[in-house]
Amino acid sequence: MIHRIPVSKALLFATVVIALQGSHAQAGVKLITLPARERVEIQLDNFNTTLVEEERIVPLAEGVNDVVFAWANTNIDKDSIQFRCLTDPENIRVLSVSYPPGENALLWQVSSPRAGSARVRISYIIGGLDKTFMYRAIASNDEKTLTLWQYIQLHNNSNEAFGFAGMWAGFGDRLERPIGINETKRLLSAKFTDVRVKKTYTADLASHGYLDAPKKQLRIPMHYVLINDEEHGLGKFPLMPGKARIFQDDGHGTVAFLGEDWASFTPRDDEVSLYLGVAKDIVVKRTIDRRTKKRVLGQLYDYDIIVKYEIENFKDSPVVLDLAESMPALRAEILGNTGRHVEWTFGTQGTLKQVDRDKSTADRPVFHVTLEPRGDDQKAVKQVHTLHVIIKNEW
Amino acid sequence: MILLHKHNLHAIILALGLPVAAAYADNVDVSTIPQRDTVQLTIYNSEDLTLVRETRHITFSKGDNPLQFSWANTLIDPTSVDLRFQTHAQELDILDTTFPHDKPQMLYWNVKSDFSGSAVVEISYFTSGITWAADYVCVADTAEERMSFDGFVRITNNSGEDYENAQVRLVVGQINLVERIADLARRGLVSQDTSERLRLGAKVRQLEKRARGLAYSGLAAEMDDAARAPKAIVKEGLSEYFIFTIEGTETIKNTWSKRLRLFQGASVPFQIKYRYRPAEYGDQLVRLFILRNDEASSLGETPLPDGVVRLFRDNGRDGLSFLTAYSSKYVPIGQEIELNLGPDPQVIYERLRLRSWRDDFWFRTDNGKTYFSPTKGHKIRNNYPVGGWNDHEQRVERIRNYRDKPIEVEIRLSFQGHVVFTSELDPKLHDYRSPQFSAQIKPAERKDLGYEVTYHQGINRKQDDVTLKKPD
Repeated sequence: MIHRIPVSKALLFATVVIALQGSHAQAGVKLITLPARERVEIQLDNFNTTLVEEERIVPLAEGVNDVVFAWANTNIDKDSIQFRCLTDPENIRVLSVSYPPGENALLWQVSSPRAGSARVRISYIIGGLDKTFMYRAIASNDEKTLTLWQYIQLHNNSNEAFGFAGMWAGFGDRLERPIGINETKRLLSAKFTDVRVKKTYTADLASHGYLDAPKKQLRIPMHYVLINDEEHGLGKFPLMPGKARIFQDDGHGTVAFLGEDWASFTPRDDEVSLYLGVAKDIVVKRTIDRRTKKRVLGQLYDYDIIVKYEIENFKDSPVVLDLAESMPALRAEILGNTGRHVEWTFGTQGTLKQVDRDKSTADRPVFHVTLEPRGDDQKAVKQVHTLHVIIKNEW
Repeated sequence: MILLHKHNLHAIILALGLPVAAAYADNVDVSTIPQRDTVQLTIYNSEDLTLVRETRHITFSKGDNPLQFSWANTLIDPTSVDLRFQTHAQELDILDTTFPHDKPQMLYWNVKSDFSGSAVVEISYFTSGITWAADYVCVADTAEERMSFDGFVRITNNSGEDYENAQVRLVVGQINLVERIADLARRGLVSQDTSERLRLGAKVRQLEKRARGLAYSGLAAEMDDAARAPKAIVKEGLSEYFIFTIEGTETIKNTWSKRLRLFQGASVPFQIKYRYRPAEYGDQLVRLFILRNDEASSLGETPLPDGVVRLFRDNGRDGLSFLTAYSSKYVPIGQEIELNLGPDPQVIYERLRLRSWRDDFWFRTDNGKTYFSPTKGHKIRNNYPVGGWNDHEQRVERIRNYRDKPIEVEIRLSFQGHVVFTSELDPKLHDYRSPQFSAQIKPAERKDLGYEVTYHQGINRKQDDVTLKKPD
């Protein structure tokens, strides 16, 4: 039987100080010491798993000692528990580990060449001690830069209090805070100032759909795009996924909430695009103006297509609109999905010809259209652009 | 009859030299219970099977000696229980073995003795419920060049019986059983006409014989709890199997588990590779620590049985980082060990399709059997459908390395159908449909590994394989 004495609510660490002979665990009378934690480190650098390392000063007798580690109502991975002696590790050795039946406990047999105290480190993987990341940003009034705070939120549902524990997320500084049972602790893990932000408006039927389908008016989302590199004020480490809340300096000493989005995992040099809301002042109506089937040979056809975009900017500031067209979606729209890759080229009759090579892919050309603000008469200038595409070799 | 309840297993000698039937039919008995002198457990990890050999001193009187053996509340296979005489073998004989119909988990041996005195008998049997499993703890150094690699074995006893001071041997290997021992134990008493059906596989018996033949020293080994060093585990080959013998003896109480160190590999060198092999690692570029189970790597003393590997790294901040845990397969001596860390957030892998196009069209003529191609000068009528063509894809595998060391990347792709793989990457074929190539990526480098894939479709599809080609 393991004697459980509530050192903490969930964990018991005890040393049976008498160097016992024979069958240790069955000894009827025991003298048990309860070494307190000297140090706790919570390693949060693994994406899915939390590793706890704790150090205790253990009094050892000369000979073989039983060291008991027990826990209750906490989700410790029993097989992950490691015991390392930091004092004289060459001579203070673990002989065996026993697992009593029906107990959340284990019993190390530790041999020591002499009586005295030894610092030991016990590491284990624990469930219920999870982390999430969240971001808060305040954009400047002109929306050119922002200040970004990254927080790590530690949720302690492990049913164990850790006192002052060191925590490290794998990047940034080590933090030391107490964390209690059922507590959630939010810690600032990084702060970036003067982060350059790019505000984008995107017209892309396949990705964002219609705002008004009968009128063929596209939904135009507004994104904040941050590039995770040093040039743009970031780039120190990959950005972990988490919720990002964006505020804007309203120019009156307070802030306004612009919107929030889930930031995806963003490696260095990649960009994270945060969808904050729909830009209803930018109106884009998309129609297919031409669909001409042209025989190549036999039953093999090309399709000559012109997509027309009527664009109006009702904002009082100029805007650059990203205009994208998905070729598989366009083919599905005009002749259904054949399952083959789309073979296509630009025709000569469109006004949209200059693609953004960095943003475009083989199946999705992206163009930029500069829109002037609405005029003094509050009327917007309507721009009409056309995309001329030949979808080739279909049957 | 006097029963002692220290153990569930009893070997009882009935004191009166009466005929067996009379002896256990009587209501009043006098019996003695010889205790175990030694016990040896040979535990197999591939099946729920343990061979138990125990020795006891028994005093025989001249004439017939009834001997009762019972195993209530245990998981012993009754078909496997065997009695042998280690001393006075020429003067002792088993006349018959009886399984009483009204007493499950019990048998009687009727032993004829030509002498009066003590003899050592060996009782062996198979039991289920005792298992063992290996596990490994690896800690890589901060520079990720060498690691400690420690192996452990954990023995769990749920057999219903306490085994005290037992010599423990662990067998690694895949044995063949025609019936599970646990089923045989549950089935209880075995009648004569079913014995054939319940016979164990020949391979098991052969193994049992060989196991018995192994040197078995230290039968009366003393408890060595006072020992100050972890126990040594002797490793040796046995036919297709490998056997670990734990130094001295161990006590493994029923329902307890015990974990012991199997070996300790210090400063084991390893290589880091990145591999894209969807069939092996899923659709992702994974980071691998690769080492070898050989002496040059401070390992190679034993094959590594199946077991969970837990990999940590010294994080350089007086602590560990947990890297991964996964179930490793058996690794023979000399073979490579792959520790799969999964995708690396510091190495970004993307596949980009740059262009798609089609050519080399063939059209099916009116008769449905002949195909025409415009490049052959055939006249293609408007109603001829497409019957054959080539699909082309121009692609790049893009890798970005944000680590501060160069990395080696191996990419293995797999294609279905008749495919031509055109590239200057010096690809090799892993098999008939899997080209593979490798590249070194410097720190902070972005590298595009480009190639073209041509799929022959319709009647153009003549083969079902991949051909490698250099660009024209």
